[in-house]
Amino acid sequence: MTSFLTFTILGLVLGAVYAIAASGLVLTYTTSGIFNFAHGAQAMLGTFLYWQLTYGWGWPMWLSLVVVVGLAGPAMGALLHMLIMRGLRETADVTKIVVTVAIMLGMVYLSQWIWHPEEARVTEMFFGANAKIELGGVVVRVHELVCLVVAVAVAIGLRLLFTRTRAGVVMRGAVDDPDLLRLNGHDPDRIAMLSWAMGSTLAVLAGILVTPIGGGALEANQLTLLVIDAFAAAMFGRLRSIPRTFTGAMVLGMTATYVMAYFPTDWTWAGNLRVSLPMIILFVVLIVLPQDRLRVAAVRTRERYRPPTPRSAAVWGAALVAAVFLLALLLDDGSITTFALGMTFAIVALSLTLLTGYAGELNLAPLSFGAVATITGFHFGVTGSGLASRLTLWGVLLAVLVTAVVGGLVALPALRLRGLYLALATMAFGVFLSNMVLRDTTEHTLFGVTFSIFPNGTLIVPPLQVGPFDLRDPRTLLMTATVLFALIGVGLAALRASGYGRRLAAMKDSPAAAAMLGQNLVKLKFGVFMLSAAIAGLGGLLMASAGGSVSGDNFAIMSSLALVMLTVVGGIGYISGALFGGLVSGVGFTIMVGTFNDLATAHPSMESIYKTIGQLLVVATALIGMGVGKNPSGTVHDIVEGYRTLRGARALLAGAAAVEAVLYGLALTGVIGNWWFAILTACLVMALPVAGRMRAAAPVRRTPPELAGVAEPYSDELRERLDRELGLPARERMAKEASVHAVA
Amino acid sequence: MNEQAPLLELTGVRAAYGPIQVLHGVDLRVHPGSVVALLGPNGGGKSTTMKVCAGLLPLTGGELRLAGRRVNGITAQDAARLGICSIPEGRGVFPNLTVRENLWAATGTGARLADLEEAAYTRFPILGERRHQLAGSLSGGQQQMLALSRALGTDPVILLLDELSMGLAPMIVTRMYETVAQLVAEGLSVLVAEQFARAVLPIADTAALMLHGRVVASGRPGDIEDQLSSSYLGG
Amino acid sequence: MPLLETRDVTVRFGGNTAVDGVSIGVEAGCVTGLIGPNGAGKTTLFNTVTGLQRPAAGRVLLDGADVTRLAPAGRARLGLARTFQRLELFLSLSVRDNVRVAGDILRATGRTVDVEKETDRVLARTGLEDIAHLEVSAIPTGRARVVEVARALMTAPRVLLLDEPASGQTERETEAFAALLTGLAAEGLAICLVEHDLPLVMRLCTTIHVLDYGRLIASGTPKEIRESPEVVAAYIGTEEIGTEEVRREEVA
Ligand SMILES: Nc1ncnc2c1ncn2[C@@H]1O[C@H](COP(=O)(O)OP(=O)(O)OP(=O)(O)O)[C@@H](O)[C@H]1O
Ligand SMILES: Nc1ncnc2c1ncn2[C@@H]1O[C@H](COP(=O)(O)OP(=O)(O)OP(=O)(O)O)[C@@H](O)[C@H]1O
Ligand SMILES: [Mg+2]
Ligand SMILES: [Mg+2]
Repeated sequence: MTSFLTFTILGLVLGAVYAIAASGLVLTYTTSGIFNFAHGAQAMLGTFLYWQLTYGWGWPMWLSLVVVVGLAGPAMGALLHMLIMRGLRETADVTKIVVTVAIMLGMVYLSQWIWHPEEARVTEMFFGANAKIELGGVVVRVHELVCLVVAVAVAIGLRLLFTRTRAGVVMRGAVDDPDLLRLNGHDPDRIAMLSWAMGSTLAVLAGILVTPIGGGALEANQLTLLVIDAFAAAMFGRLRSIPRTFTGAMVLGMTATYVMAYFPTDWTWAGNLRVSLPMIILFVVLIVLPQDRLRVAAVRTRERYRPPTPRSAAVWGAALVAAVFLLALLLDDGSITTFALGMTFAIVALSLTLLTGYAGELNLAPLSFGAVATITGFHFGVTGSGLASRLTLWGVLLAVLVTAVVGGLVALPALRLRGLYLALATMAFGVFLSNMVLRDTTEHTLFGVTFSIFPNGTLIVPPLQVGPFDLRDPRTLLMTATVLFALIGVGLAALRASGYGRRLAAMKDSPAAAAMLGQNLVKLKFGVFMLSAAIAGLGGLLMASAGGSVSGDNFAIMSSLALVMLTVVGGIGYISGALFGGLVSGVGFTIMVGTFNDLATAHPSMESIYKTIGQLLVVATALIGMGVGKNPSGTVHDIVEGYRTLRGARALLAGAAAVEAVLYGLALTGVIGNWWFAILTACLVMALPVAGRMRAAAPVRRTPPELAGVAEPYSDELRERLDRELGLPARERMAKEASVHAVA
Repeated sequence: MNEQAPLLELTGVRAAYGPIQVLHGVDLRVHPGSVVALLGPNGGGKSTTMKVCAGLLPLTGGELRLAGRRVNGITAQDAARLGICSIPEGRGVFPNLTVRENLWAATGTGARLADLEEAAYTRFPILGERRHQLAGSLSGGQQQMLALSRALGTDPVILLLDELSMGLAPMIVTRMYETVAQLVAEGLSVLVAEQFARAVLPIADTAALMLHGRVVASGRPGDIEDQLSSSYLGG
Repeated sequence: MPLLETRDVTVRFGGNTAVDGVSIGVEAGCVTGLIGPNGAGKTTLFNTVTGLQRPAAGRVLLDGADVTRLAPAGRARLGLARTFQRLELFLSLSVRDNVRVAGDILRATGRTVDVEKETDRVLARTGLEDIAHLEVSAIPTGRARVVEVARALMTAPRVLLLDEPASGQTERETEAFAALLTGLAAEGLAICLVEHDLPLVMRLCTTIHVLDYGRLIASGTPKEIRESPEVVAAYIGTEEIGTEEVRREEVA
């Protein structure tokens, strides 16, 4: 009985910490509409700072607490609001999610840079680990009591704030209509900044409180993910109700503790289960608790994607294959394998173009579907043994099929969900898979067959062989991956331009209207989810076989999130956005960090500088992600817009092509190094739009459109010109534009 | 009435959404205690003018004067605190706040919640019955009543109404304008934008016709109404 | 027999009864009006008929068949189409594609239609050709309402429910719109029109149903409705009868 009570109290304490973290999430979501994935990372940074002050520099504990919770926490929130969150108005869910994911990744990189991850750091409990009191026969640590008290105080405080104070009511109004708030005499910016400051403070508080409970060791990733566990609690309250969030947190904390306490220790998966429990609960809660916020009238978000025509997509696909072929001639085998790996990531990213870019549904765990395909391929698609073992075509097809089915099964319960909720459901699935399946190295016996899903923690996936095609050769591998990417890309472009694509767009824009036209939404969503999972599966399996062997970490949720983020950065509505996201997340990191580490080894005197630049670059990727709010349609969109000025500038384009050809020739013959080739090409690509703009800047003087009718009286002719200049009619012109636009 | 100094005065006001200029020099005056109706077809710039007056959209040229003072570049929150009460186009309510909380949010200009509630519930009893319902789940007319309530208890100097009658039952339109007329009788000045003149002309002192971002005519309501129908046909 | 019929439909939100035992019919070949003060339950009734809202009680019959439990898409396939009071256009598609996608959906459900030709026909019929290539977010509300109607017509409906289609239209647009509706009804379509533009309703409708506080307070020809004291008190309003109290007494 005492032990039960002890566990209950432990559970309540864990719940209390979840509650503090989750209330912070609820606070920022209700007041800004942004679900903050970086909440955990904020907690982590705050805790590290607290460690630095108290243990690194030996400040008194109370002083560090005041500084971290009272100053650093609010300042971090206010800064986040001013620099980043403010720019996220009128952007799609996926953009908002991706920006906070970028902040999370950036903060983790930053902390690892400042606080070297391999050093051990420990924070202790308040009043020491030995300060205990006895309550009804159960011994409780004072620190644990503090947690409980703080959690209750925070819950009551927030509840009162939201319902009993004008400031709180106004905060809740801010999310729907900041302009209306202005008309009521409030300043929405100040209000939002205040709520971000409060949210951030709660994050920091949760971090400092929870670290000693989990043993005291500080570890950046772990602490960041711990708050992700609190998502489930926040979801109990549908991201709105503080009391329900509090209850949810307590249920979560206690369940986790009981599972740890009472599940037989010889069940190896019980440990895994405990770890993934919050995600299972998150999934269940998402599905069981319906009800959405009331919609404000459909607003047009700032994202703009221009779908390409299938024909122009085909041209660009062919161009891509040719370019990759030429490029491969410059590279050694090692680089080609890396490149091929990136291309397989790009295939995975294509699944996002379809699902998110076209259909508006979110999937935060694309690599998890890749994992499903990899496991299937490994177990059922390999012939031969040792070096002679090969993946068969049937194996690949089977793996893709199984992944599609799994994708459908995951989507099935989540089909009613939209936007953020669906995103979280897929994330829960991804984390669950990582924890339960990809860590499952034990042997099972089913129907008399003994097997283990993930033997030894790594899977050796051999290359594919189809007839004479052997992908053991890196060049063949690269070209196969590229051709597959191009084929799928062209297929998707054709899909988007077809009735099916329009139906997806309709569902994305207004499910109610689509249903009223007779569209069965469940069927459509289900289908597109399966198709997308199949593409991700294909990419994932190729990725595994390109790398030779994979471990569970290759499919971790963090990698998935980075892939999603970079695809959005590139432009999730564009095929080329997928290419960008895949290449950068698949190999960009490796190349960047590798290059600078090589440089550092080669020039020992400059080592620290090169290492710093390498790390800066990694943090910079996260910065790019944060910048997406400025430019939510993606960089590809920007580049394309830049190149619009070049339409018709035949001579300029031809000249550029000639220069590029010469550069390539020089690189091929070894006159210039590959790096020089890359740098000069990049310069050329960037300089072209500038030249185009300069060329276009020599204008014909005419009445500017806004002065029409003022400086010059209205006439039919003028009206016609206005129509033309304001940029809309004439269908053949549109078609032409589309073809120029069809990088995607 | 024109001998008094105008309460709100726009001279040569220009405004733009990004690169697209929408107002090309608007001249408009609202005198104390008068009702000015801003009429004109779709896209003429009525709502944009309202936004400029409320401080939601910055001027790119010209002058905005409030009680003789030049207030170009005033923020919406300052304008609200100076007594400009603007009921925007569409429903000017927070959908995820209850009726009462909406009124509470409206006290940002210094009014007291109790006064606001009292004024709103007396004028529109249905709002009193629904005080704990989310504003977003009210019907269109109820939302419009709630939006107008903001003008009742906060004691503004000037009221800006944009398409008040849109989507409202005839009787409710009548009632809305009765309310407005009552406020005017108490000394309030009103600038009201309507696509349809029918509802507002009876209470208007002056009417101004807006076309393509400029006030092309202003004068007595009856005269403008004639011009209005011809400009609709022309534009 | 009416093509569309509601029988004692009741809808409750928490403690409020938004629609209270309403039975109305919509006949083929004519325009039926549904009017009532704001908050009377007109949109809620539409939502119930189209399956977006579950009724607490009552049944919805389409051509004699009970569709009360059918999903919205299923009802649409039986020939029910509607427009929305708060526009629900597909904002990332052009005007033409907004209409065309309805045909795509139709074809995906196994019907043989020449989507392109049908789209052209509907665009011409509704007078949208001149703006067909524009993005829907760029067109004024009045035209956007017509786009919703055109989209609904693409599904070759038998019953068309219109929720305040004329609000935001200029007088000229309303004229053209009235002509369109008359023409459609003459071809045998059953149209149910919710609208606050009374002159328009009186001119177009053969039968008018009046809702107030969720209840059906009158049904009849435009003439009967205009002369019904209850309706005048609850909806139209006069100089003498305008205040809440009097209205309540009259209704009760
Ligand atoms: N947010 C915006 N961004 C860009 N252009 C806009 C925006 N809002 C309005 N416009 C454009 O400004 C012009 C004037 O619009 P405004 O809303 O002021 O007209 P209005 O007279 O109120 O018309 P309506 O009767 O339709 O309400 C229109 O051409 C419109 O397309
Ligand atoms: N989701 C909801 N939750 C609670 N109450 C609701 C909800 N939807 C509608 N109501 C209530 O039901 C009643 C009927 O609303 P409905 O929107 O059907 O009115 P309407 O007749 O269409 O009015 P209008 O002409 O203003 O559009 C209103 O009192 C409204 O407050
Ligand atoms: Mg307007
Ligand atoms: Mg309605």
